[in-house]
Amino acid sequence: MKYSKYLAVLVLFIVAAALPNYLGLYQLQIMNFVFVYIAFALSWDMLLRSGQLSFGIAGFAGIGGYTSVLCGYNFALSPILCILIGSAVAGIVALFVGSQVLKLRGLYFSIVTLAIGEIFRVIVRNLEVTGAAEGILLPNAIFMGNATKTYWLMFAIATFTIIISILFQKTRIYYALTSISNDEIVAASSGVNIFKYLVIIFVVTSAIQGMAGAAYWQIYASVTPEGAFNLGFALLPITMALFGGVGTTWGPVIGSAILSVTAEYLKLQFPHGHLLVYGFIMVAAILWFPSGIMGVFKQFTAKFNT
Amino acid sequence: MAILKTTRVSRQFGGLVALSDVSVEVMENEIVGIIGPNGAGKSTFTNVIAGVYLPTSGKIEFCGQDITLNAAHEKCHAGISRTFQLTRPLVGLNLIENVMLGAMFGKNHPMKDARRESMEFCRFLDLKNIERPVSAMTALEIKKMEIARALATEPKLLFLDEVMAGLNKDETMDMIDTVRKIHSQGMTIVIIEHVMRVIRELTHRVIVLEWGKVLCEGTYDKVSCNPRVITAYLGEEAEC
Repeated sequence: MKYSKYLAVLVLFIVAAALPNYLGLYQLQIMNFVFVYIAFALSWDMLLRSGQLSFGIAGFAGIGGYTSVLCGYNFALSPILCILIGSAVAGIVALFVGSQVLKLRGLYFSIVTLAIGEIFRVIVRNLEVTGAAEGILLPNAIFMGNATKTYWLMFAIATFTIIISILFQKTRIYYALTSISNDEIVAASSGVNIFKYLVIIFVVTSAIQGMAGAAYWQIYASVTPEGAFNLGFALLPITMALFGGVGTTWGPVIGSAILSVTAEYLKLQFPHGHLLVYGFIMVAAILWFPSGIMGVFKQFTAKFNT
Repeated sequence: MAILKTTRVSRQFGGLVALSDVSVEVMENEIVGIIGPNGAGKSTFTNVIAGVYLPTSGKIEFCGQDITLNAAHEKCHAGISRTFQLTRPLVGLNLIENVMLGAMFGKNHPMKDARRESMEFCRFLDLKNIERPVSAMTALEIKKMEIARALATEPKLLFLDEVMAGLNKDETMDMIDTVRKIHSQGMTIVIIEHVMRVIRELTHRVIVLEWGKVLCEGTYDKVSCNPRVITAYLGEEAEC
């Protein structure tokens, strides 16, 4: 039973590694969505574990996307380097915003994160250097559009996020964040520097979102204000994490995998009503299993063990 | 030597003066009791010293250093630790992890050392089955866990805020022994309490608060015979 977890991860890894040989271009593209949403949903959940509700995914993904495309467009840097720069800039913006608003926390923090995307959307829409309303088009997509290589890049980003999440669940940062989300007064009285840990987790998760966003827009080789700062990038990953089960590493991963594939399928079946069906799935999930798939799974295994 | 010294410390909440010009000292290795009727400012005093609230005016010195405006976690690092009037276990963590929090962040121990140290404190306080979730613990155990969590920060000064509240007679006796045991390790303790028997048995000196002011201070025998204290707290007809 103890090793079954590692075995499951190993099987998952082998399956993921084998997929490019069996999937067509379209399916590989869907897998890219899955990986991007894993990075978004999981990083959002990592911040939620400290009790902070963020809508900043759209903002940081857009910042990462714009930065990386701008670097490629203006300086012709290698796409991988552009993605790393995009991630760093998202992290720096998070550091600046976080050090100002994380003293407030709660609702105030949530609203500010919601505003980040909107503010940057308006900025890039009105600047010449960012291509104004039309955005920017790169001459070439990353890896010249090679689907297998792109798949591996996105796979690496998702795996990186999963590893960071697992590390954060096993080190002292887990105790700091759990104590902060449980009871800030107890955390502070036990010596936890609440502000420091919140800034750290906010910067790390925002950098991940920036990285995933940067990679995503490198695949498309273009950015537009409405596309890059689309609020859907904040709301879809949040529903995915809730669907899979928050507070765990594998919950958001499973949720992202199931819902991004479902979303694509629904798009094909109901081109005009897919979001309606999607919403219906969400309502059903929240009504009948509010702790997500992982919650149901845990209940089941608990029953099975006793 | 005074380990803690407050000079005219006040704290207001809007128009309400919860503490006003409190000047007290706590000596090293002393057990000081703080008593007073409900709303006298006992818990506010603890919260101001521990940094949950900052004083509106006045000065707090700890081990000769001015810590008046230090944040709660800095006061913890300086060596002030406390338990809470209403228990505040971290339900997301189990027994040993709750204690480890103090060792990891109060004393900056790495995780492995923190676990070892915390196990020592659990043994010292007679806490068993340390991997239990909070939901499987009794009220007494949760109180002891909170003391262990406070001790794990290796403080110089420990505030026990109504640590006997809600305990039955046997449990109270158990807790009195525990406090004695902690004191015998050289700890300076400030104990806020309603149960006068506990104050009589444990404290070297008592500070009486009323309406946020120090009414009087001295040994239990002296304080409990003070007519003003009797009127304010023990009731007119009480004997001493």
